[in-house]
Amino acid sequence: MAEFSWSSHSPLEHALATGVHGLRGTEAGVSLTEIRNFDLIQVMARRGKWAELARAAKTRFEVAAPDGPNAVQAKDATLIWSGPDQFLVLSKDGNHAMNTLAPAFSGLASLSDQSHARALISISGAKARSMLAKLSSLDLHPAVFPVGAAAATSIDHTSATLWRGGDQPDGQAVFNLLVFATFAESLWHTMLDAGAEYGIDIRYSEELA
Amino acid sequence: MAGVQANRLANGGLIDRSVSLNFRFDGKSFSGFQGDTLASALVANGVKLVGRSFKYHRPRGILTAGSEEPNALVELRNGARREPNTKATTAELYEGLEAASQNRWPSLRHDFMSVNQLFAPIFVAGFYYKTFMWPAKFWEAIYEPAIRRAAGLGRAAGVADPDHYDKAWAHCDVLIAGSGPAGLAAALAAGRSGARVILCEEDFALGGRLLSDGGTIDGMPAAEWISRTLAELAALPDVRLMTRTTLFGVYDGGTYGAIERVNDHLPSPPEHQVRQRLWRIVAKRCVVAAGAIERPIVFAGNDTPGVMMASAMRTYVARYAATPAKRVALFTNNEDGWRTVETALGAGLQIAAVVDARPDVSAAHRSLASKGGFPVLNGSVSAVDGGKDGARKISVSLTGGARAEVEADGLAVSGGWNPAVALTSYHRGRPKWQDDIAAFVPDGAPPGMVAAGAANGAFGLGACLGQGFAAGAQAARDAGRSGKAGSAPVAEDGAFSLTPLWHVAGKGKAFVDQQHDVTASDIELAQREGFESVEHLKRYTTLGMATDQGKGSNVAGLAIMAAVSGKSIPETGTTIYRPPYVPVAIGAFAGHHRDKNFHATRLTPSHHWAAEQGAIFVDTGLWKRAQWYPRAGEKDWLESVTREVKAVRSGVGFCDVSTLGKIDVHGPDAGAFLDRVYINTFSNLAVGKARYGLMLREDGMVYDDGTTSRLAEDHYFLTTTTAKAGPVMQHLEFCRQVLFPELDVQLTSVSDQWAQFSIAGPMTRDLLRELVDPAEDLSNEGFPFMGAREVALRGGIKARLFRISFSGEMAFEISVPARHGDALVRNLTQAGAPFGVTPYGTEALGVMRIEKGHVAGPELSGTTTAADLGLGKMMSTKKDFIGRVMAGREALVAADRQVVVGIKPTDKASRLRSGAHIIPKGETPGPGNDQGYVTSICFSPTLDQWIGLGLVERGRERIGEIVHAHDPLRGEEYDVELCNPVFYDPEGGRQRG
Repeated sequence: MAEFSWSSHSPLEHALATGVHGLRGTEAGVSLTEIRNFDLIQVMARRGKWAELARAAKTRFEVAAPDGPNAVQAKDATLIWSGPDQFLVLSKDGNHAMNTLAPAFSGLASLSDQSHARALISISGAKARSMLAKLSSLDLHPAVFPVGAAAATSIDHTSATLWRGGDQPDGQAVFNLLVFATFAESLWHTMLDAGAEYGIDIRYSEELA
Repeated sequence: MAGVQANRLANGGLIDRSVSLNFRFDGKSFSGFQGDTLASALVANGVKLVGRSFKYHRPRGILTAGSEEPNALVELRNGARREPNTKATTAELYEGLEAASQNRWPSLRHDFMSVNQLFAPIFVAGFYYKTFMWPAKFWEAIYEPAIRRAAGLGRAAGVADPDHYDKAWAHCDVLIAGSGPAGLAAALAAGRSGARVILCEEDFALGGRLLSDGGTIDGMPAAEWISRTLAELAALPDVRLMTRTTLFGVYDGGTYGAIERVNDHLPSPPEHQVRQRLWRIVAKRCVVAAGAIERPIVFAGNDTPGVMMASAMRTYVARYAATPAKRVALFTNNEDGWRTVETALGAGLQIAAVVDARPDVSAAHRSLASKGGFPVLNGSVSAVDGGKDGARKISVSLTGGARAEVEADGLAVSGGWNPAVALTSYHRGRPKWQDDIAAFVPDGAPPGMVAAGAANGAFGLGACLGQGFAAGAQAARDAGRSGKAGSAPVAEDGAFSLTPLWHVAGKGKAFVDQQHDVTASDIELAQREGFESVEHLKRYTTLGMATDQGKGSNVAGLAIMAAVSGKSIPETGTTIYRPPYVPVAIGAFAGHHRDKNFHATRLTPSHHWAAEQGAIFVDTGLWKRAQWYPRAGEKDWLESVTREVKAVRSGVGFCDVSTLGKIDVHGPDAGAFLDRVYINTFSNLAVGKARYGLMLREDGMVYDDGTTSRLAEDHYFLTTTTAKAGPVMQHLEFCRQVLFPELDVQLTSVSDQWAQFSIAGPMTRDLLRELVDPAEDLSNEGFPFMGAREVALRGGIKARLFRISFSGEMAFEISVPARHGDALVRNLTQAGAPFGVTPYGTEALGVMRIEKGHVAGPELSGTTTAADLGLGKMMSTKKDFIGRVMAGREALVAADRQVVVGIKPTDKASRLRSGAHIIPKGETPGPGNDQGYVTSICFSPTLDQWIGLGLVERGRERIGEIVHAHDPLRGEEYDVELCNPVFYDPEGGRQRG
């Protein structure tokens, strides 16, 4: 009997073509990078256990877990608010995957693995906000949506988590978008349409930004 | 003749004479300059006749220079981009522009339908209603099509729009409508205060009336002030000036609608760009500096080409250096009209006369007249003679009764100005009357909005600047910005001094609404016939209902109604103002959401594999699901589906069921929670087992069904139907947060986390033994029916395995994390190859569930109870659950309810169709003896005939009865037998074996 290969395929693998989409001949106004390799765990406090969970999270991540619409950067993970008394843990290399996180929060939280339920897209570039203005009703002005701001929102009628990561070395803002995997290809095409007039530099990465 | 712009002044204007643009109007070639509108270019080329009127096909010329234009409507562009009813006055000229006049045949100069003018006496208000009443059935078939052919505007392209549109959001502290003196001053004050500002300007150039009327601001010419102001605004970090953008509506919560004509000024949008963009702007405050619209005076022949609003004439001469006439007369009732004389004299035009309706004319004007050598006549214009070649002679009724005649080819008219009160009135606001300007002004506004400048009834330049600046500064403060606004720009206020005059009696048609051909006598007739209320007047005469929405004409119409009904104008009142302020293309509202992007689509983890197999996909909600997998040589879907069903029933097949909703139910009270939302009990389900569950709505009707497994003491994995995945998640969250907050339970949608496949058929275990780690016990003892647990797969990953069956066969559902879904489907194919594994789609899935008598969407229709579905025994009597009490209502437990039953035609060769009504045999079909209907049908390869499920009155008591199927929709009648809904393996031995 043969062994089977269980290669992993991102939900955007079929649609994503690296290179430039749309306007050419000038520096692309938007950069879209799919992050393909990550662990994502939904952590929801058990009833009345938020304070204890927050302490356990502080011990584990050495940062305070978000209790409002923010994304908090820890050494090897990002904690993203997803609703009252709940957050997402984004990490890689199994550091905070289900099997390690579950024992740490045992009795304090209910955990669901969402690593395969989302696609993760990083959006930057001089025209990133212009493109996002076509997709999102949120005010992404730097003073309103600063580094670390997060939102559980909808993009093109599709549920999404959007947060602002650390700026790039050149000062440009970075927006990270988690979208449902089965919607990802459809939303990807919408994003390409929205950004085509600015030129889009498309790539993918195995590394978290 | 291209190249000769006979009516272009040698100097001046805001046009770029270095860029000459060729264009065609009605097939004739002309040229204009960059910075022209189509209208100004036609003026420069001496074109006076630009259209035919709506009803009477009267020759019409250009009346205005803005978006209030009623006459100069053209079809712009060709083919798929043909755009009817485009205002020549706002269409920017571009190289190669093609435009055609509308509503004429065979040509603009020789319009056959102008015979309508001969019948004009009978084409009065309400003519159609009065004339085409009988016979009633002729209306749709004959009258309406004929009327629509004769009376009309431009022709739509008739094919799909090749351009793209999009929609975008913007946010600001202060939104400003208009870039005239008030708007620019508001932007300066708000911007300097540190506010985030968006200014929308309809025109392609910023400056509003300053571009045409000039003036002195802060001691410098207006043009210089504009360029300094724009430079200062450009240097502010958060001020955005949007030209070609009309603010068209205000909605709840400070949200505004605006349409940006991104590329209308080009023949077609550059690659990757949109034609227009719909903006939704969220603003803390809004300053409406939308200006005012000059209004007509109604007199006989006031629609003759060559008659033009006085301010429009100034615009053509001063801004576009184009002269609408050689010898101009002015008819005014206010000081502002006189500015046209100054502009015309400055451009070297002859002034034929000024007819001033006011008793007193200032000494300064009299001296201007004597210097210019033209008479000032105290009185009113009573008629204009002329035709398609323009005005020739103007008749004047002098105060005191004498008459005079003036030879002129152009007549500038000013009846005063109406503030643009639309935006401030959109939330059912009613403007108030202001006597000194004899006009309606805003009386309050939607929350956060304020009017300034001419839009607020302040017509002097100094007042506009002052009001705009103050409003901008206050708006910024209200939005929490505290920077220093500095000082307001300063200018003198000109005199306005108006004596109201609306209508001059005379012989011949005097038009109020030129676009809809509504005359002064139509309004008088409406009053005589009792349509005195302004809302009735509007609908009876169609006054103000054309594409210009009566911007120029409405107030004159109200004034005439007021006069004939003996009321004041404020007593007569205004009609309700509704957005949009300008027509907005449906394409802009649709934006990206057209064709394949009409809505978002969801793809299953095996989608691309299925596409490789040539699967036919069906839209199921947002999902694309494989419906069947055709093979070479199969003649139709039925042959493919039949093959798939037979393959499953005799061997093994698989189907992607990832579309089912999947919810993690966590927490110590998870079981108790499920007991309350399902009719049956889950708290006693053993870990490692699955159970079918049914949930009701509050009203006792069945809501949804699915299988829920207990994976750990405090973890259930709940599945829903594909259709109800979202609604059930919402329902459960509502139950958790609102109804049962005392329960310690957490819910997470994991629908997208898992790729899930059903593997079914007698050889299912053979296939799974290839795929699953040999250490896993898949025997009936080791993995019994309704078992659920994690197993290891060969090659290293874990999967969840559920022994559940929808097909009635020995079956498992297997799920793996979704990114392994593509690998799983390929591995299933490989592992199953020795057993002839066959992928099957939703059709075969449906056939097998009907054969097995399982209910699905057509039976879970929101009108059925658990008992109707034959699942009444599942309703626990030992606990409470949602819907329990309401399910006990009399009508819901009545003995004669329509319940699920099997149905098969008595003639085995006959086809059954869903939707057919069930009637007792021998009775005449009708509502009185309708006993139910066929809900689901299929061709059953197993029984070799068409079978179905239906909801039939007392169906379960009537098994074996022959009834009649009546299908008037398809014209079919046949006898059917009511039977047990479980057609296949009623003992269930196959799925348990």
